[in-house]
Amino acid sequence: MNEARFMELLSAYGADLMRWPEDHRAVAEAFLEVAPHRIKDIWESERSFDHLLALEKDAHVSVALESRVLASAPARRGATGPASGRSLWSLPKWATGGALAASLALGFAVGYASEPIRPPESNYASMLTISGGGAGSMFLTAMSDGGR
Amino acid sequence: MRDPDEELVRRIGAGDKRAASEIVRRHLPRMVSLARRMLGDAAEAEDVAQEVFLRVWRHAAGWKPGQAKFETWMHRVAMNLCLDRLRRSGRNGGEIPPETVDGRASATRALDDRQRRERVREALQALPERQRAALVLCYYQDRTNIEAAEILGISVDALESLLSRARRTLKSALAAERADLLSGLETG
Repeated sequence: MNEARFMELLSAYGADLMRWPEDHRAVAEAFLEVAPHRIKDIWESERSFDHLLALEKDAHVSVALESRVLASAPARRGATGPASGRSLWSLPKWATGGALAASLALGFAVGYASEPIRPPESNYASMLTISGGGAGSMFLTAMSDGGR
Repeated sequence: MRDPDEELVRRIGAGDKRAASEIVRRHLPRMVSLARRMLGDAAEAEDVAQEVFLRVWRHAAGWKPGQAKFETWMHRVAMNLCLDRLRRSGRNGGEIPPETVDGRASATRALDDRQRRERVREALQALPERQRAALVLCYYQDRTNIEAAEILGISVDALESLLSRARRTLKSALAAERADLLSGLETG
């Protein structure tokens, strides 16, 4: 490596030899070791400039962005990876249907249990309020009023 | 050399959410950083990063190992998206930040790291887009000269020329900060 090539690479890649082309690093290091002070001073000056450039830090990634990106990832049924366990999708169809039926039955039971005595003149506005009744109450009121 | 992302990409192609999560953890910060340095806008950088990953999901199943490294491909996608946005919006750097034109104000006061960082950021944004792209890839994204040249679709010689010009422009734009930093190092 001659001085001209060393200066050329220094002006492009800066003083950090790890950034230099791999096949030039060792020769550049050897060249620098025996180089005159003039060259070493230039190299030092480039090194201080590298420090200045290195102050510019990487961007922070928000949790919200990470969640958005992950939410956009496609997934196929049953392809959740070896350690992820069984998902609802990987259960047999009868088990999935059974779980849904059980949830519905529980919802009705809770609704009946918490159902208040309805005033005789129920209207559509009161149907949408849940004061005094649970979710089951709202659902049943909607059903009965809808049938009028 | 084996591509460290090869296995993950194969699993993503098969719909493995865990693999998707891992590749996001591995590469999202770099994609956001690249886009933020190229575009100078945090919200736009997030849009670009999201778009890069949409393409990852779309291309994972058809990815053929052994061509380019997957990360290099991601960098190319991100860089092209940034360059497209810059061209569409007519932004192409070239404006020296006002304080640099008269650097005396900066030279007479000691700058802290935060202020210096801000000045470096402004000076980067003022570089012409090709010079900025070369510098961002080699200095901040840790791409090798060969990878950076490949991402930009240019020769290594052309890349070195862009890098030299970028450094020269930055040195002139950041002369005051550089002097301040040097004096700080000498006195500190």
